[in-house]
Amino acid sequence: MSSDFYKASILPFSGIIIKLCRAYTNSQQDFEDYYQEVCLQIWRSKDNFREELQWSTWVYRISLNVCLTLLKKKKNNVQYFVSDSITVEETEDNYAFSDESLNLLYDAIRKLSEIDRAIIMLYLEEKSQKEIAEIIGTNPNNIGVRVKRIKNRLKKILDGKIN
Amino acid sequence: MERSIESIWKEGFLKSDALVAPKINNLYNQKSIHIIDKFKRMFKINLIAIIAFSCIFLIVSFFVGIPITGIMFFVSLSVLVFINKQLLNGLDKIDKGASSYQYLKSFNEWIKKQIAINIKISRFLYPIIFISMVFGFWFKDAEGMPLGERLVGEILVGFPDIYLVFGIPLIGIVIALFILVLLAYFGGRIYKWDLNLVYGRVFKKLEEMMTDIESLRN
Repeated sequence: MSSDFYKASILPFSGIIIKLCRAYTNSQQDFEDYYQEVCLQIWRSKDNFREELQWSTWVYRISLNVCLTLLKKKKNNVQYFVSDSITVEETEDNYAFSDESLNLLYDAIRKLSEIDRAIIMLYLEEKSQKEIAEIIGTNPNNIGVRVKRIKNRLKKILDGKIN
Repeated sequence: MERSIESIWKEGFLKSDALVAPKINNLYNQKSIHIIDKFKRMFKINLIAIIAFSCIFLIVSFFVGIPITGIMFFVSLSVLVFINKQLLNGLDKIDKGASSYQYLKSFNEWIKKQIAINIKISRFLYPIIFISMVFGFWFKDAEGMPLGERLVGEILVGFPDIYLVFGIPLIGIVIALFILVLLAYFGGRIYKWDLNLVYGRVFKKLEEMMTDIESLRN
């Protein structure tokens, strides 16, 4: 991968890639692996990019697909691993953010289902319902309702933990 | 919870410096080690399977009355396993600390060497297996005499003027030689076909990775 491609086509979207990768991992090591794999896959599939999509949508879609694939692989490899059981204590220290509230929010997001995680991440990145639906491949009409439900679930998880 | 999820998200990232992308390096290190480890595991299992098969066949051959086939099978497959075990030891010498590209390249060279040696062996192995089958059945006891001699006797009843060489019909020798030549000629191809059947997917992955790394280097 040329550094030009990385600088021009990946780095501007690294924020969301980082956030997505963090939502699907629970250690610094995994996070770095996921990030590298996402970048590699974006580079590998650049020739398949379809003009009718925006590059950002393409990047988000690939990032999401890679994260979901890696998560599935990991689950298959370690059958006893249950994502719902991830707690704040299990998160590696150097993996945590300096903002405690953000850490708690991330931990709450990690307790959601794989698709709900994707939806809320894209919502928090202020993507439109249409764009979220386009990235995930669903109907835009359902996104609004789903976001509301996810937010309620997150609030319940976070209730009392964040002031 | 007083603060909204949206504000926690926004403010959290404003405060933290967590959005620095990790360095992209050693992209293929884990992958290349993983793929080679997988090959090694498959290769070892394959060798163990050959040993187990030749042992079982050796025992069965005594019960069935074709011990010559069993012994020849056992000896030739043992030689094959021994040579391949030596080759496998060479694979362990490849430096895992080298860059992915170097590691894959060394592995690729090892594979090529291994295939070249096994192609040569196959040119002898398949004919030997055929000869062992012929000898085994020829000398199989058939009511007090070797099956081969018995068969020749029966052929002579139907075709009394058939030409014999050392008591064996010439036509039979010609057919056997023809099969031997064919097996020696196509031995390498049969081995390659067999190899692709077992390791085809691993080789394909390896090739894709090499191509990827080469284009990444450009």
